[in-house]
Amino acid sequence: MSSLPDKKDAIATSLNPFKQGKSRLRTIERIQRSVLLIATYSILISALVVFGTIIKNGAPVLWDKGFSFLTEKPQTLTVLDVAATEGLEISADGFERIVGDNKKLPVENSEEFEKSYPHTRFDLQPGTIIGDGYLQLIENNNHDFRVGFLSRSRDAQVGFNLSADSEFRVTSEQLEEIKKVDPEIVAGELTPVSEETNYFRVRVEKGDYEINKATYDALNPTTLIYIMLQSFNDDERNQIRSTKIPNSQVVTLSQAQYAACLAEEGGLPFSKVEPQVSVQDFLQFSMPAGQYELASKVLDILKLANPNASFVSLHNTERGAVELDLKEAVTLSLPTAAFEQVVRDNPDFKISNVSNYEVKKPFVRFDLSKDAQILAPNEVQLELKGENAGSGALNILDEHSHSYSGGGILGPIIGTALLVIICMTVALITGIASAIYLNEYARKGRFLKTVRLAMLNLAGVPSIVFGLFGLGLFVLIAPQITDTPSSSNNVVLRVPLAKIASEPNLRDIENNSIFMAESHHKTSDVVAAASANGKARFYNGWTYLSFQGWGTCMLAGGFTLAIMVLPVIITACEESLQAVPMGFREASLALGASKWQSIRTAVLPYAFPGILTASVLGITRVAGETAPIMFTAAVAERSLLPWEGLQSHGFGAFLEFLQQSVQAMPYHIYTVAGRIPQSQYTEPMQYGSVLVFLMLVMSLAGVSVYLRIRIRNKIKW
Amino acid sequence: MVTPSTIDKLFNMDTLVKEPAAKATISDTPSTTPKTMDQHTQPSSAASTPSATETKPVIEIDNVSFSYDNGKTNTLRDISLDIAPKQVTAFIGPSGCGKSTLLRCLNRMNDLVETSMISHGEIRIMGQDIHAKDVSAIELRKQVGMVFQKYNPFPKSIYDNVAYGLRIQGIKNKSKLDEAVEKSLRGAALWDEVKDRLKTSALGLSGGQQQRLCIARTIAVQPKVILMDEPCSALDPIATAKVEQLIMDLRQDFTIVIVTHSMQQASRVSDRTAFFYLGELIEYDETNKIFTNPAEQRTEAYISGRFG
Repeated sequence: MSSLPDKKDAIATSLNPFKQGKSRLRTIERIQRSVLLIATYSILISALVVFGTIIKNGAPVLWDKGFSFLTEKPQTLTVLDVAATEGLEISADGFERIVGDNKKLPVENSEEFEKSYPHTRFDLQPGTIIGDGYLQLIENNNHDFRVGFLSRSRDAQVGFNLSADSEFRVTSEQLEEIKKVDPEIVAGELTPVSEETNYFRVRVEKGDYEINKATYDALNPTTLIYIMLQSFNDDERNQIRSTKIPNSQVVTLSQAQYAACLAEEGGLPFSKVEPQVSVQDFLQFSMPAGQYELASKVLDILKLANPNASFVSLHNTERGAVELDLKEAVTLSLPTAAFEQVVRDNPDFKISNVSNYEVKKPFVRFDLSKDAQILAPNEVQLELKGENAGSGALNILDEHSHSYSGGGILGPIIGTALLVIICMTVALITGIASAIYLNEYARKGRFLKTVRLAMLNLAGVPSIVFGLFGLGLFVLIAPQITDTPSSSNNVVLRVPLAKIASEPNLRDIENNSIFMAESHHKTSDVVAAASANGKARFYNGWTYLSFQGWGTCMLAGGFTLAIMVLPVIITACEESLQAVPMGFREASLALGASKWQSIRTAVLPYAFPGILTASVLGITRVAGETAPIMFTAAVAERSLLPWEGLQSHGFGAFLEFLQQSVQAMPYHIYTVAGRIPQSQYTEPMQYGSVLVFLMLVMSLAGVSVYLRIRIRNKIKW
Repeated sequence: MVTPSTIDKLFNMDTLVKEPAAKATISDTPSTTPKTMDQHTQPSSAASTPSATETKPVIEIDNVSFSYDNGKTNTLRDISLDIAPKQVTAFIGPSGCGKSTLLRCLNRMNDLVETSMISHGEIRIMGQDIHAKDVSAIELRKQVGMVFQKYNPFPKSIYDNVAYGLRIQGIKNKSKLDEAVEKSLRGAALWDEVKDRLKTSALGLSGGQQQRLCIARTIAVQPKVILMDEPCSALDPIATAKVEQLIMDLRQDFTIVIVTHSMQQASRVSDRTAFFYLGELIEYDETNKIFTNPAEQRTEAYISGRFG
């Protein structure tokens, strides 16, 4: 018996029950393990490579530009190859920009001095009438000054020079009009004249024709019905295009039209021609050469009456003068020379407190020791050219521009921020509401299943499809409440709401070509008249609900993004609602709370961290999307920030603000990286933008994690 | 009123002999013979007012059948029982016998299950059919409060938890709320333990304290009836003892219906006991009688531990 333990030990050592298996199996196991390991590490490596590339190329840009990369708008830089020179002059600010942007510039002997410009300061009084062109001059020199017009006066005096004695032939109605405005101008004797005008009634047989541009232009004002199979470009005078005349017709042509039709090859053959004569009475008078002051309305009539007379406009623009809508005097300033011209040319220019002062600008004079390349934004480059135009010091050998090669990315950052704000406002309100409904109220059943299925599908729709959807719905047919609805044929429906529209100001009428109509006309008539007159919008005193779309603007983009991100938000919100223990709802209900009370006080507060995380993740997704905003909101180039250059006031300004297109980060990166000519100057911008964008998105994700942890620590169960 | 000193007494061996209820509290024998039950339940039965059973019942359950699936199968079948005011009524029975379901019918918590319905009969509380069209479940629940199996205070402060029911009724007056919170916490024998930290989170309390907080929260809205769904099942014996003592104290002001799995608990705290089996009410009588001399064979088998 005593030997038994020994024997057992012997067995144990010889027959190890835990002995290593065959080495082949171990090798296979090792291979399996390394495959999994490689798969995992390859993710890490590709992440490192991607981030590394971006950081390596982007970081120097940020290092160079610092914060200005975030606070400047994108700029087009011009590269000037300049010969070595002496005595270049530029303002100190411009010099700083040049030296800052061109670290290797061979600048020598830079010395500072002061240059002064005479300016005049004056108070502009209410009731001023001023020529349109001069008003623009004032606005350009005083950036904060923008006024509405009270009225445009076509009766305001326009100075002009008549270089030779001329005869004018006017109809009696035209003469009446001239006398009404300016009785003294027709001083000379009036001679009645009768003039015979020859017309031709011609018959055009149906058929296919080749016509030239001259014929086309001559026939355009007539009633001839034809189908142009191809259209003419404005610059191709003598090209021949095929035209179809669907029916034989008779049209009346003036002598000039008839001549034009016959003049060149390829005109229309007329099968039957009947000359006709009509007699018109005119009054003829003559005006000697010299300087005149005329109402612009009269000038128009005279120009029409004698196309050959030579007028040289002296002052005021031919569009006449405007009366400014000023409530009280404003202080403005102009360069003295410009001021003197304005005062000389505008007799109704009401000013007071005129004072002269000098604007002193620090200047720098410097030499370039050898040929150099100057990289400069346009305004600096223009200044450099302008200041040295007289001295001839600047000798430019070569010059080329690169868009987006300078400045920063302020516009895209702001645009993306605005899009995200609009999108999340819409998406969270709708998303949380529907998540609450689906999770707390809806009966479990087929409806809920269908909704979930729809949501799942919506989440899988490619984002470009959302882009097109947004284009169709928000850009083109979404309803808009407006005083000046579009007269386009594409507008589905216009519903007049109330007769409370405020009249658009004069500048809008002219700039936006608004058709003005009386309020008693039918909408369809007004629309027809407006489009016949080529006006894009009309006004008839009614406020309309017009289904004309919002246009390409941040509102449309925000809504499109909201629809795209809704499934994500709803699903996440539902999950956070489900995570709130049933016990809270039961306890609350058992204490006599209504359904909504229990949701508001015992469910939503505890679902909040989840909703917050979901929305921040939604933000990062939305901020990065390009396709949905391509057609709905984003533009590649926009010099103004969204709040700059708004024309309206109050709530109107807010609507106008929302109805602007914006630059956006992802679209900007796409533009810089793929849509403009690439060069060594644009590449850093591209990487810099990507790096900043990446940092923004990552910091957002970081914020969400931090907030979630904080709130979760405060509220937990 | 349970005070720390009474709790001390509960676990003082000297007082155990004098206080049979306390002895029952710490007894953890799974099944007890009818003889010992007799001794234990005697005092609690005596504590109830003799006239209680003769007054008009607060809750009348009249021939009720209940279904979770729109009447296809009945979870409860033809239950009829009356519950007297200011008494503790215990529902006992094996898992799945329908006692919790019946309890949840009493304040219409089953409304949360969309396919549930009373397929037959009616439940009257204070003489009113609670499923009548013009009955608001919200108003009903203000009168018929509920304490749940798993203590579920909101992740708010102790004060906010107790004030919750009053606040959703629109009471904002600070002094009124303070008064009600103190009264409720005293009523739930929790005041002395938490009065210095009313503003701290309720989740920092122990399990037993949390459950008593839930009871305080329920009595703050001054219901007539309190339903308790296995209130001690998640608690240790000491916390259970405190809650049971509290239930016995609350009997003076409230009608209490308690569902329990512990027959000892039923025998200790209740005046009347109903035994359910497979959706049917098998026996409903004085607790004393159920545990000593049950009329039904199945009741006897269940309470003596032979099945269930």
